[in-house]
Amino acid sequence: MGMLEKRRTAAVHRAPFWQRLLHQWDLQILVIPSILFILLFAYVPMYGIVMAFQEFRLGDFPGASQWVGLKQFAALMKDPNFGRVLRNTVVISLLKLAINFPIPIIFALFVNELRHERFKRISQTISYLPHFISWVVAARLMFDFFSSDGGAVNQVLVGLGLLDAPIPFFNRGEYYWALAVFTDVWKEMGWNSIIFIAAIASVDIQMYEAAEIDGASRVQKLWYITLAAIRPTIILLLIFTVGGLLNANFDQSMMLTNQMGNKLLQEYADIIDTYVYRVGISQARFSYAAAAGVFKAVINFALLMGANMLADRLGESALF
Amino acid sequence: MRSRKTFGDVMLVTLVWLSMIIMIVFTLYPFLNSLAISLNNADDTTRGGVTIYPRVFTLRNYQTIFANQKVYSAYLITIMRTVLGTISGLFFTSTLAFGLSHKSLYGRKYYTMLCLIPMYFSGGLIPTYFLIRQLGLTNSFWVYVIPNLVNLWNMLLMRTYFANTPDALEESARIDGASYLRIFFQIILPISTPITATIALYIGVFHWNSWFDAAMYVNDQALKPMQSVLMSIINESRFAEQIAATAAGASLDVSNIARSNQTNVRSITMATMIVTILPIVMMYPFIQRYFIKGIMIGSIKG
Repeated sequence: MGMLEKRRTAAVHRAPFWQRLLHQWDLQILVIPSILFILLFAYVPMYGIVMAFQEFRLGDFPGASQWVGLKQFAALMKDPNFGRVLRNTVVISLLKLAINFPIPIIFALFVNELRHERFKRISQTISYLPHFISWVVAARLMFDFFSSDGGAVNQVLVGLGLLDAPIPFFNRGEYYWALAVFTDVWKEMGWNSIIFIAAIASVDIQMYEAAEIDGASRVQKLWYITLAAIRPTIILLLIFTVGGLLNANFDQSMMLTNQMGNKLLQEYADIIDTYVYRVGISQARFSYAAAAGVFKAVINFALLMGANMLADRLGESALF
Repeated sequence: MRSRKTFGDVMLVTLVWLSMIIMIVFTLYPFLNSLAISLNNADDTTRGGVTIYPRVFTLRNYQTIFANQKVYSAYLITIMRTVLGTISGLFFTSTLAFGLSHKSLYGRKYYTMLCLIPMYFSGGLIPTYFLIRQLGLTNSFWVYVIPNLVNLWNMLLMRTYFANTPDALEESARIDGASYLRIFFQIILPISTPITATIALYIGVFHWNSWFDAAMYVNDQALKPMQSVLMSIINESRFAEQIAATAAGASLDVSNIARSNQTNVRSITMATMIVTILPIVMMYPFIQRYFIKGIMIGSIKG
């Protein structure tokens, strides 16, 4: 760097912010349009949260309605529908945390144990496939799979003598939570395993060789080396999952219930996101629905921070 | 040197193979079954028992759906939103990622903060709905494209990739007096095909599969994408199934009509569904390595 250039840079460092931006216009211009889009589509809705503390009526300019304090939240707490919705959300999320979170890890460990390269590749390819179709399609596939009129699941269960008569799974509310768990495993197990497979692939091969010399069995190597190596990845994803505990998958709930048209399932399938949609958009109770949305976002954020802090305290890899 | 095979090892191998085979059957059966039904004669399907191959082969179901003008226009909308959405999304996501990958960017700390917060906290559905309304994007094709220009998760993946490209290339171009714009579009972008391909595919699949924005913001039937058409057909078929169920106890004739009607709807649904997922399933074996690459890049950071 020449003397002149150096002096110029030093001068720029002391200059006001806007002059520095101007000096670097060719880099800034790559960033600023996208930043403006983010401000518009992510931050303006955050400002729109004030609706939850107001009584919005159609025709009001958003955010300029009458203030009502915590009225919407108080109503939310007393609403028996919201209690049910909260129950469904938490139950579905906890079931998924207990079942759908570990399954991709187990799947990744299994894939790693396959020594037949071709079969390994084919299994992986097939397992990712359902991730790439929409829940619109996935739900329709599952309706047929579980149909009581010639659906494969019922036919096999009846054929094996496990059932006396086919069960119309999608017309019985009490099966919904199990269906939510199963269909999510069906769709996302392979995809969610990729990150663990990647983590396993980066394990130093010498660790396995050393263990072999010590006479470790395959099961021991899997437990003490592979699983230990992917522990930070597991913790990181666990933090994310806990931080999304009140999400419970909008698309899935909507599609498995024909957009809540299947009243037999709604009792068990209605989650916070679908409730916000139904109450807010379909029934036009905007402020009330916005309050439910805020309730969800705040608790999710608190859970994320809590999980992150806990991981940090326990000496695990934290997000930040 | 091979380690000795314990009883546990043999059990493990058996368990692994068995699970994989079960997984493959569970994953593929619903797809193959739908494909078979879509290619099977509708009246024959009523008899039940169609598994993974068509019993009475026909292309009638496909002819029926392609005779429908609505399907064509919906398909066109889906293709248009996917192409436009991917190109524009890639543009705004990659430029932002490139900028943020430079330590010398003034205001980098603030920009990064601005990008991180919405990943963990959002205003939610209702405020977003009103924003879209105020912007006049309802009942417009652009509602599919504009709100999705920047995806922050994709941006982070790209930023990680750009941050790991060798600095030497860029430095020599800077010395020659090239602007960052030129460096990005003429030097960095052409050598970054692995990440641009990956992100393009993520965005493309997102657009292809999207249904919610169409349900939420668009009433105009002419602007509905394929997923919406599929949704309305599915709901009609559920309706038909309910008719069949209530008619089952009634006289045989009514029940037969209902059943036959149900299967026609079912055959049509399956054909529409196959048409909807076909481009993805056909491209899938060729593009899947890019998807996986994206996750690998992401996991380096983690």
